[in-house]
Amino acid sequence: MKLEIKELHASVEGKEILKGVNLSVGQGETHALMGPNGSGKSTLAYTVMGHPKYQVTSGEILIDGESVVGLPPDKRVKKGLFLAFQYPVSVQGVSMFSFLRAAYNNSRPAGSESPTIFEFKEVVAEKLKLLNMDESFLNRYLNEGFSGGEKKKAEILQMALMQPKFAVLDETDSGLDIDALRVVAEGINKVSGPQMGSLLITHYQRILKYVRPQFVHVMFEGRIIESGGEELSRLLEEKGYTWIRGYREEEQAPPQVGQTL
Amino acid sequence: MPQASLTSFDEGLVGSISASLGEPSWLTDARLEAFRQFVALPSEKSPLYTKYAKTFDIGLDRFKAAPGGSEIDFRSFFTGYLTGNESDILLQGNETQVHAELSRNVSSKGVELMSFHDALGRDEGAVRKLVEGRLVKSETDKYAAFVNAFFNCGTFVRVPKGVVLDKPLRKMLLLDSPRTPVIEQTFVVAEEEARLVYLEEQYSKGVPSPAFVASTAEILAGPNSHIDFSSIQLLDDQTTHLSNRGVGVSNDARATMSSLSLGASVSRSRTNFYLNGRGSFAEGFEIFFTDGEQRYDYETNLVHNSPDSTGSTQARGVLKGKSQSIFKGMIKIVKEAKNARSYLAHHVMILERTAKSDGIPSLEIDNNEVKATHSASVAQVDEEQLFYLTARGLPPDEAKRMVVLGFFEPVLSRVPIEQTREGARFMIEGKWEGEKRRLVDRETLLAATGELTPEVKESEDIFERHYKYR
Ligand SMILES: Nc1ncnc2c1ncn2[C@@H]1O[C@H](COP(=O)(O)OP(=O)(O)O)[C@@H](O)[C@H]1O
Ligand SMILES: [Mg+2]
Repeated sequence: MKLEIKELHASVEGKEILKGVNLSVGQGETHALMGPNGSGKSTLAYTVMGHPKYQVTSGEILIDGESVVGLPPDKRVKKGLFLAFQYPVSVQGVSMFSFLRAAYNNSRPAGSESPTIFEFKEVVAEKLKLLNMDESFLNRYLNEGFSGGEKKKAEILQMALMQPKFAVLDETDSGLDIDALRVVAEGINKVSGPQMGSLLITHYQRILKYVRPQFVHVMFEGRIIESGGEELSRLLEEKGYTWIRGYREEEQAPPQVGQTL
Repeated sequence: MPQASLTSFDEGLVGSISASLGEPSWLTDARLEAFRQFVALPSEKSPLYTKYAKTFDIGLDRFKAAPGGSEIDFRSFFTGYLTGNESDILLQGNETQVHAELSRNVSSKGVELMSFHDALGRDEGAVRKLVEGRLVKSETDKYAAFVNAFFNCGTFVRVPKGVVLDKPLRKMLLLDSPRTPVIEQTFVVAEEEARLVYLEEQYSKGVPSPAFVASTAEILAGPNSHIDFSSIQLLDDQTTHLSNRGVGVSNDARATMSSLSLGASVSRSRTNFYLNGRGSFAEGFEIFFTDGEQRYDYETNLVHNSPDSTGSTQARGVLKGKSQSIFKGMIKIVKEAKNARSYLAHHVMILERTAKSDGIPSLEIDNNEVKATHSASVAQVDEEQLFYLTARGLPPDEAKRMVVLGFFEPVLSRVPIEQTREGARFMIEGKWEGEKRRLVDRETLLAATGELTPEVKESEDIFERHYKYR
């Protein structure tokens, strides 16, 4: 089973941001997607999840060969997609507990029975432990007043509960101190496995010491301009993103016929 | 008492209401003075707001009144809605106060919860002082003057110096096709270092019929005291509702006002927080949910009269159908109020394009060493919140419901009595579903609060005890 992104073009508010993205993530694989700020990483994440503001103008997003383009986000969840947000949204008045329960019940296969409140409490308690999180967390309003670290942990908690087939993790490492980073990374490792494919979007290499990708891709101006193994992330770390700029200029001289810039 | 005929709100009615309630002459005179203000004042004084006056007009001409309270049968009036276990409660059916009850523990501390006129009989001097020093002044507002002139009932709550109540005092008003308007005047007084929690509930029962409920409330927090006041307005959609509140906060005292309003055809609410003492603190939360043709007109002002005072007020609304709301709010900081901090917010969610809402926040600040902010928005349900929830598998409808119902929680969670809170949740959900839900009956409430087989000890049942009614 695969998450495949083919020649994906997407725009937001009429402006094209993704300009032909190709990427294929298999079950059990971990891919890292790196790239400078503004290169379109979050746009890719939102587009894959079906944010209404992000329009696919051409290309495909396929899960197991089936297109999800045009499906609303909740239907994509049913197909096994998950997005850990770079900036999780807070909703006042909605308790973490009732939210997690709704997310859990709605991500389970059709026809399966929802657990009772008591059964669910046990399920969630186990996942909280996995992430070193306190149960009192469940009484708080959704992401409201959470520290950066708490928000990111909460995203991984949701992933652990929903058990997606493919997870896009958008800068889950940003804003974390080194201890929180370790907890979150360990959480990701515990939740992922042969049944899950993940696309780890990151600006920095540091999380990749804990979550080891088999594939690394570099995004620049709405395209993936380079793919490789783990060594590519180290190269990026050493040379910095300015290196890509040069790299790209080299690559594009002379411009290829028919290429639009 | 023979039923007097209904008349419009004229000077004669002022005198006959006062006479039928056996009031002393100073109070009759105070009413007459208020009446003169009522006649003289326009319905909207501020040029900032006059353009909205017509839309939110309460149509007072439609109503008439008669002096004297009506008689109601306490048992049949309330029995469907109470479990019988309630204590520290005052019950009022239409304009008639029928039952006031304090637990021994509370009354032995000198706490008072009674009708205004009972308090007048017991402690005329103190009541006179309160009336003469009213914060809801007749000259500031036509409808404040109206209530001050024509009130036919009222509630009096006083917690003496140093007494701390952990359990809430509760007042329930139930309306059943009242023949005459319910016009009430409430005083809630926390003396120095006292603490109290007060919950006021307004419901309609029976077939919706044109009714009129008008009230003023004086909420007075003495030095270092603490008042937590919640109110719930769940009147039916043919009732006209007027409310006018003055909250006076002394030095180092704290007053919190939370209100949830779902009912009434037209509702006009005025709340003025007066931060009168150094280090005083006041906090307001007002939440409403309207649909159909409902009209809500809200005004909340924070008046900082002293240094180091902190005030914050938030109004939140959800509107459906062709309902309309207007929110007016002002932060006023006088020259002497150095280091005052003030926050005023108005946020509204419009669920259908046919609904309309406006917010007019303003500032009037005479001291530079203060912090004052206001924020206002009128928007549809937040798209990013909806996306987040749908990205967690929630179908769009369920996501929307969660966001909208969550909007009420900050106020709901402050309601100090579980049954009332669950009852209000039930009504809000009904409104969301587009059902016209009635006042929650005993069974539904018990189911919602998980007490399916309540053990009512007969001896504690308030219906079994002696009660009085006029
Ligand atoms: N909702 C949006 N509205 C307008 N522009 C957007 C929006 N989202 C992203 N963009 C633009 O798209 C480009 C890529 O942004 P983004 O995908 O957030 O990059 P990255 O995640 O790689 O930092 C930026 O130029 C950004 O300004
Ligand atoms: Mg980003």
